[in-house]
Amino acid sequence: MKKISLTVNGKLYQVEVEEDMRLLDLLRDKLGFTGVKEGCSEGECGACSVIMDGKLVTSCLIMAFQAEGKEIITIEGLQKEDGTLHPIQQAFLEEGAVQCGFCTPAMVLAAKALLDKNPHPTDEEIKEGISGNLCRCTGYAKIVSSVKKAAEYLNKGGK
Amino acid sequence: MKKRGKGIACIFYGTGYGNGFPDVSRAYAELQPDGKVAIYTGATEVGQGAKTALSQIPAEVLGLTVDDIIFINEDTSITPDAGTAAATRQTYNTGNAIKMAAEELKKELINIAVKELGLNSDAGLEMKDGKIYLKILPDKCITLAQIAAKQSEPLRTFATFTAQTVQIDPETGQGAPYWPYTFSACAVEVEVDTETGQVEIIKAAHAQDVGRAINPKMIEGQMEGGFAMAMGYVLYEDLGLENGRIWNNKLSTYIIPTAMDMPEIQNIIVEDPESTAPYGAKGIGEPVMIPVGPAILNAIYDAVGVRMTEIPVTPMKLLQAIREKEKQGA
Repeated sequence: MKKISLTVNGKLYQVEVEEDMRLLDLLRDKLGFTGVKEGCSEGECGACSVIMDGKLVTSCLIMAFQAEGKEIITIEGLQKEDGTLHPIQQAFLEEGAVQCGFCTPAMVLAAKALLDKNPHPTDEEIKEGISGNLCRCTGYAKIVSSVKKAAEYLNKGGK
Repeated sequence: MKKRGKGIACIFYGTGYGNGFPDVSRAYAELQPDGKVAIYTGATEVGQGAKTALSQIPAEVLGLTVDDIIFINEDTSITPDAGTAAATRQTYNTGNAIKMAAEELKKELINIAVKELGLNSDAGLEMKDGKIYLKILPDKCITLAQIAAKQSEPLRTFATFTAQTVQIDPETGQGAPYWPYTFSACAVEVEVDTETGQVEIIKAAHAQDVGRAINPKMIEGQMEGGFAMAMGYVLYEDLGLENGRIWNNKLSTYIIPTAMDMPEIQNIIVEDPESTAPYGAKGIGEPVMIPVGPAILNAIYDAVGVRMTEIPVTPMKLLQAIREKEKQGA
């Protein structure tokens, strides 16, 4: 066992983790962030993506102890305390970008990681930004238009 | 060399289980104490939008907003069986059952309103925004919440819809195995790299007969999703089944489309209301996928003159076919 501290959605956690525990299991099973989804478990589908120190990472390929001292954002960290949705979440709803919803939490985080770095992405840049996240339902078109819409909301200073 | 080609395909698709198999959906509509209406049905939401479309239908019948419909499904202990979320049947079959249950509830509510308002007929009574009122004298009005308060037990109606399908004649193969049918068409333009055998879809148009579009945005989502799934099926996805073993059993080798693979798709929603359907709406879940594959194969033929008869059309297979054709030509 190893004791680590990490920040998740702005809150500091100190937890004991097994050496062979994945970040995915720490977030889901120990800390209860079940918005992090386990898909393929080998870094291909992107469903377990979280933002770690500003970068989108697949939490199934990161060991829990590697998160020592890191700042992590999961889908649970996007909504405001009063329940207001993040502009990206709002745009996903309005555009109809959610079907079964399994890829959605990570897809929203992929969009956030992209827009944090590039507030005015082209369609091609959006497609590239979400290309590590597989979706079997939507054909991606509505997701791309949501990210575009979210960029507009964010550039206008939030909605 | 890069060669471009265009292809089209059209299909028709029979909704539901078909061939005489009993295809039944059931639903309850129940007035709530606050005047909202609960719909109970066993239909399953798998991301196709059943909950949304099947809430819009009773809202339309009862003059309510979708927010006033409490949609309760999937819990088998309290919902009646509505069949599977399969065979593109929920909008049509369960939509019909829900519409009938809601119409039945409306009838009962109107009858109660006639009595409560002391009227001698239901003529000219309107039901809208949670109220029943007389159009020529709107003060003659009762709310659904007021009606609910007067009931000793919740007002609840039930309806069953059974689709009409006939077993085909086993001798001749003739009959009417399905009803209704829906139609789709797809056109694609591809670019084939004759050096690598790679096929890129440049753009596409996709038309779907929906009867009536209950929720156009969700229909587009289904069409785009169907296109992507067909594109993967025809160009990338290979299970590699050999002696009972699946070689490509992970997403690193079983390749499905990413956002970067998707072309620009023009969606065309064709509305031609079906008389037996709820507000004319037919299901579209499966048909959206079907014409895409043959359209791609036709476009490949148009581009390089080879007929691919096995999918997925991997670069290796296509390259072999192109070389074969060149040899024959030489």
